Amino acid sequence: MELFALEHKRLWRTPRVWICVLLCFAYSVVWGSVVWYQWPGFGTKNDSTDMYDNSFDGYSAIRGYQEEFSQFGDEWTDETLQKIVAKYQSYDLMELPGLQSKGDWSLASDILRDLYPELKDPENQQYQPLILYADTTKMTDFYQRRADLLEYTLETTRQNEGMSEADKQMFLDMNSQIEEPWPYEWTQGWANGALEFGWSKMAPYLAIALAFIFSGEWYSNTAPLLHTTKFGWKKLARVKVLNGITFALEFYLLIAGGKVLVQLIYLGTSGWDLPIQYMSLLAVAPWNMLQAELYQLAFGLIGMFGYAGLVMLMSALVKNNVLSLVFSLAFVYVPDILGRYLPKWLMALSQYLPLVGNSYDYLNYNVFHIFGLSVWSPWMLITVPFIIGIVCIPFAIMKWSRRERA
Amino acid sequence: MELSIDRLTKHYGKKIAVDRVSATLTPGVYGLLGANGAGKTTLMRMLCAILEPTSGEVRLDGRDVAGMGSEYRDVLGYLPQDFGYYPSYTAAEFLAYIAALKGIPRAAAGKRVKELLNMLDLAAVADKKIKTFSGGMKQRVGIAQAMLNNPQILILDEPTAGLDPKERVRLRNLLSEYAGDKIVILSTHIVSDVEAIADQVLIMNAGRFIIHGSVPDLASHVEGKVWELTVPAAEARLWKEDFTVANYRHEGERVVLRIIADERPSPQAVPCAPVLDDAYLYYFGIMEA
Repeated sequence: MELFALEHKRLWRTPRVWICVLLCFAYSVVWGSVVWYQWPGFGTKNDSTDMYDNSFDGYSAIRGYQEEFSQFGDEWTDETLQKIVAKYQSYDLMELPGLQSKGDWSLASDILRDLYPELKDPENQQYQPLILYADTTKMTDFYQRRADLLEYTLETTRQNEGMSEADKQMFLDMNSQIEEPWPYEWTQGWANGALEFGWSKMAPYLAIALAFIFSGEWYSNTAPLLHTTKFGWKKLARVKVLNGITFALEFYLLIAGGKVLVQLIYLGTSGWDLPIQYMSLLAVAPWNMLQAELYQLAFGLIGMFGYAGLVMLMSALVKNNVLSLVFSLAFVYVPDILGRYLPKWLMALSQYLPLVGNSYDYLNYNVFHIFGLSVWSPWMLITVPFIIGIVCIPFAIMKWSRRERA
Repeated sequence: MELSIDRLTKHYGKKIAVDRVSATLTPGVYGLLGANGAGKTTLMRMLCAILEPTSGEVRLDGRDVAGMGSEYRDVLGYLPQDFGYYPSYTAAEFLAYIAALKGIPRAAAGKRVKELLNMLDLAAVADKKIKTFSGGMKQRVGIAQAMLNNPQILILDEPTAGLDPKERVRLRNLLSEYAGDKIVILSTHIVSDVEAIADQVLIMNAGRFIIHGSVPDLASHVEGKVWELTVPAAEARLWKEDFTVANYRHEGERVVLRIIADERPSPQAVPCAPVLDDAYLYYFGIMEA
């Protein structure tokens, strides 16, 4: 325990490490959350008021949206859609307050475009969005229309992209578990940003902090010295690995905790039970926003763990700090950079590397087939990185705990 | 306690760094002498069990040290050549960290760290970062860490590098005092360091021990082969071309040469008492020839 405490203290005292943590915190939490909620997300980029003296302070704007959209009821029905569209059509657009840009108008507009295409006026030469002129009395059968469109989309995917009948049925079964009618309140807070953690952006910071954990001992020429101490082999390697994982966890808690805290301050807990279908109308996962957020947090935690394992293995395999860092970063960025040159199957596999895959995959229809089983891709995206982390750790320990051959 | 080296060999590709070296070491101070590239560091790293030999083995009391693992490292202290440290650590923190790696309980470690800092004249700078230290101070921190666990086998690779004369004398005294029932092996190419404290000297060249013995023994090997000759300064260079000259000292217009040769180099040459330097140069002269 003492050795762990000393190693841990040493890691945190390294300027490279705490500078990385500070930069990542500033980028992800301060810029990516506080500033984002306050201005680009829900306020304005330019000023705190507009020409009509409307407040553009993100914090108060969010409360304004929550208040305003509570008038449309707490369940999503045909009537809700009709009321929202009617309200929008009642505005004189020239006087529509600026802070309304993040209202649920865009949700209604998207629903009209996808589910009510027949309402489109072919004579409308100005390409105005449907929400401006569509007849609200014809906005009926929302859930049936959605079910029909989902069936059509899955069938098209089956025919054109090779989805099996069993997979299609699996998605339809998942969809059938979504309770109707959906709860409703203002959705844009959750749908546009609350679930955005940007995990892959943390990879370089984690790599810079951990890539030197073993290779750095060769760089500083301390490895020969450590290797002649009683605990300088396996025990030190185990402590270093534990230290790396603990650091990854602390780093994760700092960033994820910071972002969740900012989310709680700005959005509150209101809206946690909204279905994720408000983010993507044809998503089939029977999840609410809180479940999606928990998945995002698990994706990040496991991704950080798996990536920390990979980085530490690279650090143990090469004695050169730069190579260790380059190889570590390659796992995250090479699939991105070389994506179009890689065979499709390799590109698909690379998505399961830690912090590489899409954390929003629960909105898609991806399935991984293994030993005759169909596994929904979001589960693979959190299982494989965990296995990678678990596999890398013993190899890193073994590599460090070996006598030099040359 | 007996540390035996049995036909220890290390190849790096086609290059032979250590070539079938054998020796039996019992408690005492051993000086490993040799030019740069003679194989001293490679041999020491194999003795420390951090470098795998190509063949041969090192045994402690009959047991192969490679298989002893932490049991062997528990009785080992090692100062590597080009000793590495953590720049942001203070001397006291660094020693506490190494003490933890050596498995020394915290209370005992604190006491031992203080003791060594005092012994190596580092107490006043114990709380200063190592990166601010001079080369000699860093080297003393390295020596302190090697001695932390009071090792039965202390291996020091070039411990006097970077030390000023006063520090070298202090280190010699410290090692002489420390040795007792322990095995202390130190490598250097500074003959006087070894001469002052080593019970046994092992001279290495091209990966092999070319001769070993006590300082008086080795010196006696060149008894009758060391001469002093005074010549005009203009002739000195000619003598250096033809003979191994151990020393070259100006006395007014003339130069006093200390020549190592099997035969009296000149009727004017007078025999003198040999020292370890002479033996070292004599055997290296033979090897080169």
